[in-house]
Amino acid sequence: MTAGKTKVNRIRIAVDIGGTFTDGLAVIAPGGRIWVSKTLTTPHDPGEAVTSVIADLLKQITAARRAAKPHVTEVVHGTTLVTNTLVERKGARTGLIVTKGTRDVLTIAREIRYDLYDLNLEIPQPLVAEDKRLEVDERLDAQGNVVTPLAAAELDRLLDSLAGLDVAAVAVCLLHAYVSDVHEKQIEAAVRKRFPRLAVAVSSGIAREIREYERMSTTVCNAYVQPLVAEYLNRLDARVHDLAPGAPLRIMVSSGGFTSGKAAAETPILLLESGPAGGVLSALNTARNNGIAEILAFDMGGTTAKACVAVGAQPLIAHSFECARVSRFKRGSGLPILMPSIDLIEIGAGGGSIAHVNNLGLLNVGPASSGAVPGPACYGLGGTAATVTDADLMLGYLNPDNFLGGEMKLRTDLARTALAGLAAELKLTPTAVAWGICNIVNENMAAAARIHIAEKGHDPREFAMVATGGAGPVHAVEVARKLRIPRVLATIAAGAGSCLGLLAAPARVDRSWSNPTLVAEIDWGKVAQVYGELRADAEDELKSAGARDVTLKWRIGAEMRYAGQGHNVSVTLPWRNVTSALAPALIREFERCYRRFYGHLVPNATPQVITWRLTGCSVVKRHKFAWGDARVSAQAIMRGKREIYLPLKQKFGAVTVYDRYSLKPGSRVAGPVILEERESTLVVPVAADVKILPDYTVAVTIREFE
Amino acid sequence: MKKLDPVSLEIQWKRLVSMVDEASAAFVRTSFSVLVREANDFAVVLTDAQGRSIAQSVLSIPSFIGTLPATVKHFLARFPPHTLKPGDVMITNDPWMGTGHIHDVNIAMPIFHKGRIVAFAAVVSHMPDIGGRIRNAGIRDIYEEGLQIPRLKLLNAGKPDQNLLDMIGRNVRVPEQTLGDIWAQIAACKMLDERLQPLLRDTDLAALGGEIRARSEAAMRKAIRAVPAGTYHAQTQHDGFEEPILINCTVQVKGDRLAIDYTGSSPQVPRAVNVVPIYTFAYSAFAVKALLCPDVPNNEGSFMPISTSAPLGSIFNPRYPAASGGRGMIGHMMVPAIMMALADVVRERAIAEGSSNSSITVTGEHQGRPYAAVNFMNAGQGATGHRDGYTMLSFPSNLSNTPIEIFEQMAPVRVIERSIRRGSGGAGRHRGGDGLHFEIEVVADTPMMASMIMTRFRTAPQGIFGGAPGKVGGLLLNGKSIDPADHWVLKKGDRVVMETAGGGGCGAA
Repeated sequence: MTAGKTKVNRIRIAVDIGGTFTDGLAVIAPGGRIWVSKTLTTPHDPGEAVTSVIADLLKQITAARRAAKPHVTEVVHGTTLVTNTLVERKGARTGLIVTKGTRDVLTIAREIRYDLYDLNLEIPQPLVAEDKRLEVDERLDAQGNVVTPLAAAELDRLLDSLAGLDVAAVAVCLLHAYVSDVHEKQIEAAVRKRFPRLAVAVSSGIAREIREYERMSTTVCNAYVQPLVAEYLNRLDARVHDLAPGAPLRIMVSSGGFTSGKAAAETPILLLESGPAGGVLSALNTARNNGIAEILAFDMGGTTAKACVAVGAQPLIAHSFECARVSRFKRGSGLPILMPSIDLIEIGAGGGSIAHVNNLGLLNVGPASSGAVPGPACYGLGGTAATVTDADLMLGYLNPDNFLGGEMKLRTDLARTALAGLAAELKLTPTAVAWGICNIVNENMAAAARIHIAEKGHDPREFAMVATGGAGPVHAVEVARKLRIPRVLATIAAGAGSCLGLLAAPARVDRSWSNPTLVAEIDWGKVAQVYGELRADAEDELKSAGARDVTLKWRIGAEMRYAGQGHNVSVTLPWRNVTSALAPALIREFERCYRRFYGHLVPNATPQVITWRLTGCSVVKRHKFAWGDARVSAQAIMRGKREIYLPLKQKFGAVTVYDRYSLKPGSRVAGPVILEERESTLVVPVAADVKILPDYTVAVTIREFE
Repeated sequence: MKKLDPVSLEIQWKRLVSMVDEASAAFVRTSFSVLVREANDFAVVLTDAQGRSIAQSVLSIPSFIGTLPATVKHFLARFPPHTLKPGDVMITNDPWMGTGHIHDVNIAMPIFHKGRIVAFAAVVSHMPDIGGRIRNAGIRDIYEEGLQIPRLKLLNAGKPDQNLLDMIGRNVRVPEQTLGDIWAQIAACKMLDERLQPLLRDTDLAALGGEIRARSEAAMRKAIRAVPAGTYHAQTQHDGFEEPILINCTVQVKGDRLAIDYTGSSPQVPRAVNVVPIYTFAYSAFAVKALLCPDVPNNEGSFMPISTSAPLGSIFNPRYPAASGGRGMIGHMMVPAIMMALADVVRERAIAEGSSNSSITVTGEHQGRPYAAVNFMNAGQGATGHRDGYTMLSFPSNLSNTPIEIFEQMAPVRVIERSIRRGSGGAGRHRGGDGLHFEIEVVADTPMMASMIMTRFRTAPQGIFGGAPGKVGGLLLNGKSIDPADHWVLKKGDRVVMETAGGGGCGAA
């Protein structure tokens, strides 16, 4: 073989660690062929599952393409490590340095109840114990002027106290540090010098935003996970190096982009929602490939169901969210995090949601969940409560012999037993209970999505739904019908959906700076200077994440309001030079957004900027993916007929079951129909036009609503 | 219509609640009122044709338990069904027919199906402004409080009454905002109508509503039956003005009914803290629901077994033209009173007294520009047999504190300290929650007007089962105690310390 004939395949790999499974996906260029791998997550050492998934992917590719030499150009990674560490409270012993008089702010929080009627609320406990908080005598005013300077002797006293705290990490959050970081920087430098091994997080570096409790909470969460994440990423880097020498490790962040391993280690709080963000990006990529810009991304797995609205092919971004809620579905029961994040909401507990009879004698589903262990009754792992997955099996939606391609056999007998208990209690048939569970969980998810959509000012009928996750395609059509969404898309590799998203993600950085000022009084010189610094810093990070200058898109953002109001409106403009000439454009855009949200403007009110934002992003490309393994066949394979429950007929009926990837692009079938694939099942239980699109996405146009 | 089984009923019900919540989300998003957006001071309700509630927005605060359906019935008394046309929208802010103060505007709209009224959509919301004097406890009668809107049609078969709109606009400080919120209420009613129509095709709303109410009522009756029958009593008092205001409450549990009577409470006062019966009921029902059956849904059925009464002319049943803008100051105290009354019979769930929120409002001019800022602060809550009381948690209303950084951005003050007032909770086997220590320094270059609302300043929150009372609150200006009922003028360098009360303890220490 001559050297000229050796084809080098450039391979990109994505690995996503989820609660139950670690998914991997490799895409080969040119051609966009993909391979997937899945293994159980290894909680004692999450990197272990990453290694085995990457090794398996490389083996599959080598086997399939003997002539080619695999060359891995990058590994993109998403993980729930940060989330889990916060939920399980397994982070480092953390100290906190604050302005004199504010030691209790972390405990006092915002003083509101997240449930009006629960007299025994569980309040989330702060991550830093009271005796590990130090006050320092210094003070800035709201404009950032120094009122009480940070004296050298005071700094020495602080460092001495810190030496006695026995902590592995320390967070620094001083009043008004969002406008000026002068004292925080002094403290950071002194701490790093005296305690070089201590992990340090300063609020002005993590989340430069007004509201001391929320900023403090964000900074503390970051410090708390820093040592663990740094160690994890270091080891992972070494592991990746062993398997794929020279391939840089990129880390997915909550805002829907990736960053470098180094930046992720410094600001690990960025990783909080990295896996779910991947799912949304995958849905968006599919939508883009098919010319659709307005979607509701619907992701349903074994332990969680999420939804996200994307308008103009961009996911909505929230600038604050919560982690580690003590009450899973209750807003306000978690720790606030001021970080840009794809605006995803949890709309249910997924296939593991448990059904029960409530105190009004009605059938209810969730919020309790069987989790991954013991899981639904039909897993045969000891679960006895009837779950959504058990109902799906009883209704014929799931094939007991095709779960994970047949690797895991589902026990219909155990599902039936679990449902029989409820049926007796409710005096209904087991089928009625099974359909009831399925219908109720769909109704619950539709209700949560409906309210989320209304909060964002949209109408569900504007959207197409894109389903991902193992259970997403099983429930998507029914949820869409309830929302009166006419069109459902099922992406390829729904079961490894987050990984496709990781590979479609752009490089991205976000920076912010709060400095509440009336637009008319903005000191543009100062703002330009800050933007200059933020951009230089952001460019460094993007370059370390492998992005090139030419492909970067920069945006200026501002959180604005009329002076005196309590809520902000987010305004975004393409990058331009920061001068006073920006003011009219800013006001125009603010008024446009304000009018869209509130219908009309407030006469005689004065616009104000609260927080400035900067976003840098590499250009979002369309990624075309196609199966690399032998799933795709030359002719349609009918796997026969199966009895499934037809909700509009309220009885079982036989429908055709296809092997999903045997249907070639351009083929059409009519619903009711079932399309099976290894990781999921697309259930179309009503009349619909089902079409296979060029990228093997299945498009379902629903013909029957209620 | 087929009979409603436990599955179909759950689905239909959930859908109704979700429609109401969808309309409420759209309303909150477009509301100008800070109290609506920050504190959910609004409610959206769907009632049947008789004005009996079927579903209420989940987020709404307890002030609105049972109020909107009553308002719809008052509308029906004024505008009988046969006089209503599609597109009619009714309005009122009468405290006795609405929610207890004129700052809340009630809107209701009939929903038609096949030419008949089958339901009402109704929305109540705290307005950004309603004219009159700025809401303050010192107001003497309703005429000072602002614009009164009797039961009127705002839209007649879809056509707005421009005279009425002009009249409202001329009487409020921020007409665009107040009228904007009223239009948003109407939009929410229309959205509810639109969402409901497909359901009406194959659902008998009256039957569905009947079943929902029956199930809710049965759950509440069951919860009440679990309480031993008897007559239980508690007394507490508000610091008051010239003299304390007495809250005397007698709870009678008889089988599956629970009646609360406030005879023996103080007479009505010429201040804006009178509590009209509809609000007396709302907060009483909240206490019973939270204590006995927190999961019961917010609809009329749940509250059928509960009744409240108070002598005419008393603080809990005042005569017109009593002022009621600050009704919550007294009304919120009914909740601990009822809980204290029932403490001995529901020992497992009993809670010692805590106190509701305090606030400081500062106004003036600094560097040539006017400013106004308010900071709410909460107090320690009572302990239970299972846990210590909460440190500074808002109850029974739900108002968050103002971040120090926001407060200092809005007003020329410097917060010296915001800390837990350790040791202020009452001692006990479980301690009462601690109150707040809040200290500010004035940095304004011209005099600052300050108005403080402090509660539990003279009367300490009591403990239960031998637990000690919490410490009372305090207010100091430059180290000297001052009276919170006065208005204060502060100058540069002045230091104000506000301390909120601690909660009562539970059990002997």
